[in-house]
Amino acid sequence: MLVIRRRPGETLVIGENVEVEVLDATPSQVKLGIRAPKSVAVVRKEIHLTRDQNFASAREISHGALARLSDSLKNRPDSFKNLPR
Amino acid sequence: MATRVHSLIRMPVAHTRRFGAIEYDPSSVLTFPSGLPGFDGHSLFTVVEQPELAPVVFLQSVTAPELCFLAAPVAMIDAHYELALNREDLDRLDLDPARSPVPGVDVLLLALLCAPENGPLTANLLAPVVINLHNHRAVQAVRSDLRYSHQHPIPSTAEPVCS
Repeated sequence: MLVIRRRPGETLVIGENVEVEVLDATPSQVKLGIRAPKSVAVVRKEIHLTRDQNFASAREISHGALARLSDSLKNRPDSFKNLPR
Repeated sequence: MATRVHSLIRMPVAHTRRFGAIEYDPSSVLTFPSGLPGFDGHSLFTVVEQPELAPVVFLQSVTAPELCFLAAPVAMIDAHYELALNREDLDRLDLDPARSPVPGVDVLLLALLCAPENGPLTANLLAPVVINLHNHRAVQAVRSDLRYSHQHPIPSTAEPVCS
């Protein structure tokens, strides 16, 4: 991983079109400003992971996995059989 | 949640790829005000239960026939899961930001599952679905810390155990 030290007000450039400016920094948080073309998606990593995982979850509900899940649930304690309503 | 209230009351019908045409109770529909990441326009889901999978349920879109998720109570996967809700998600759920919602009383936590044919069953604990039990508003609350995995493995107790 490339490591660069920057202070608030300083900027770095990624490729030809993307600029990242450090707007503010505290001991616990850094505030960044990003200038990028509309074609470049900028998104928090955890949102990106969740989006991809949601695509996989909506795609992957296989019969085999449901059968295995049903089998394994037979051995579960009864306290989880009913959802609160 | 998907109980039929009265045979004389005509329930609306959702057309689904997985279950065919299903009746659902509009008062039990979950409303995701801002959809889910990757499915931004999809706000309305109904809970479909199958006895052999309880307490695992399906979250079926009532407007998109092909959109369905498998979901399990978070407590079933991690009994000590600590919920973290940011201010935006509290607002979307219409919850009081001054107090922490109590799982099982104020909110229900579900983890979306990924259930591939070949490969382990996993749960997204990075971003649990949080349902306000008082008004049925829901969000997928994406954590910004790295405390929980988006692919938390669920061990299958049905697998043969080597002695």
